[in-house]
Amino acid sequence: MLFRVDPTSTVPLGDQIAACVRRAVADGAVAPGERLPAARALAESLGVNVHTALRGYQRLREEGLIELRRGRGAVVADGASPHRARLLERVREMVGEARELGMTEDELLALVRSELSAG
Amino acid sequence: MNRKNTGRAALAAMPFLLALAADLILFATRRDRLPAQLASHFVGNGRADDYAGRTSYVVITTVLLVGTGVLWVLMTARGGFHGRAYRRVVACGYAVAGFLGYLMAVVLLVNVDAAEDAQGRAQDVSFPMWQLAAALGVAALASGLGLLLAAVLPVPEEPSADGQADRQADGTTAGGERIALAAGEVAGWARSTGNRWLLPAVALTCAGAVALLFAVGWSAAVPVLLVGLLLLSFARPNVAVDRRGITVSGMLPWPRVRVPLDRIETAASRDIKPLTEYGGWGYRIRPGRTGIMIRSGEGIVARLADGRDFAVTVDDSATAAALLNTLIDQRRTEH
Repeated sequence: MLFRVDPTSTVPLGDQIAACVRRAVADGAVAPGERLPAARALAESLGVNVHTALRGYQRLREEGLIELRRGRGAVVADGASPHRARLLERVREMVGEARELGMTEDELLALVRSELSAG
Repeated sequence: MNRKNTGRAALAAMPFLLALAADLILFATRRDRLPAQLASHFVGNGRADDYAGRTSYVVITTVLLVGTGVLWVLMTARGGFHGRAYRRVVACGYAVAGFLGYLMAVVLLVNVDAAEDAQGRAQDVSFPMWQLAAALGVAALASGLGLLLAAVLPVPEEPSADGQADRQADGTTAGGERIALAAGEVAGWARSTGNRWLLPAVALTCAGAVALLFAVGWSAAVPVLLVGLLLLSFARPNVAVDRRGITVSGMLPWPRVRVPLDRIETAASRDIKPLTEYGGWGYRIRPGRTGIMIRSGEGIVARLADGRDFAVTVDDSATAAALLNTLIDQRRTEH
């Protein structure tokens, strides 16, 4: 898969790496079970710090998109469907917009809860 | 076989014939001083653990040198090697002939005047391990001689212009796609590739190593095991394309193959037929092209500055080729 990062952007590099993988899963460019480059290899490839690459991968693991295996790099998780990746992208957008509006965490969560109970 | 090929065959055959002649002359002149059963196989400490009759020695030496000689004659006459690759093949043949010829001579000489036991076996014969180093030295000298001879004697000409035109027709020199990168944006592409036959091959090799360990000893098992481990580390290779060029690595950081971006002129994605284009699978070096053939099908083909091709079979190669061409464009505008 293609990774692209912009060091001049205000978005942290780790988040940019995570966004690349999310996008690739959403597009179907990578399928569950596929191996991603090890964090060290990815960092060398893009010329970023290993910890930066790891931070991106850890974020993806928390989202359930990849599994990290010690010494064996990252593997796209079985549950990582394009739908799930697209949903995760929307959640990020939503949180970003809520922050721009100056909403607090509780306010946003209250909105989501009310939407959930209405459904 | 035309005249050029006859010359090539003679050049390739010569070291094997010379080695065979030397070994057979040594045998003929010392025949009366040899035991009935020569010590023929040695273990780590140089002690003999197997024996062979005098006739066996002659037969084994002849089969070994003639067999490897025929292999090299076929490679130089039919392999289609040109220029530097051709000289290297010839030099390798000289090295192998020197190594084998020297070892067989040493085996013969350590048996001269050996005492015999009741079965006629050579007694108190040992093979000094430094002779292996000496054999490597002989191989190095012989390969130097081979390089020299191959360079002095008329070298077969490079592939004709027709061949170049054929290769351009397959699209490897086309302009190709690009990936739109913003100013300052850094891009890298990575993909793991594999072949379902590789893991069984690894298992088979390792099983062979274990069998050899019990049947022959560690000296035979270790090299086979090393080959198995090398295969294992490349069972699922990673291919990366980025600002550094093309990198193909196994599970460990080393060994790996890297083609620097500076050496690449253009890249394309196309279907690759390993058997007809590269003569098989694995790391292939052919005249005018090098390739890592893991399976049949799509792959990246890069045309290098020296006119050679470097190819690796991998999925999603169109993206990789587009990124390579983009990075090459960037490099050109920067300079």
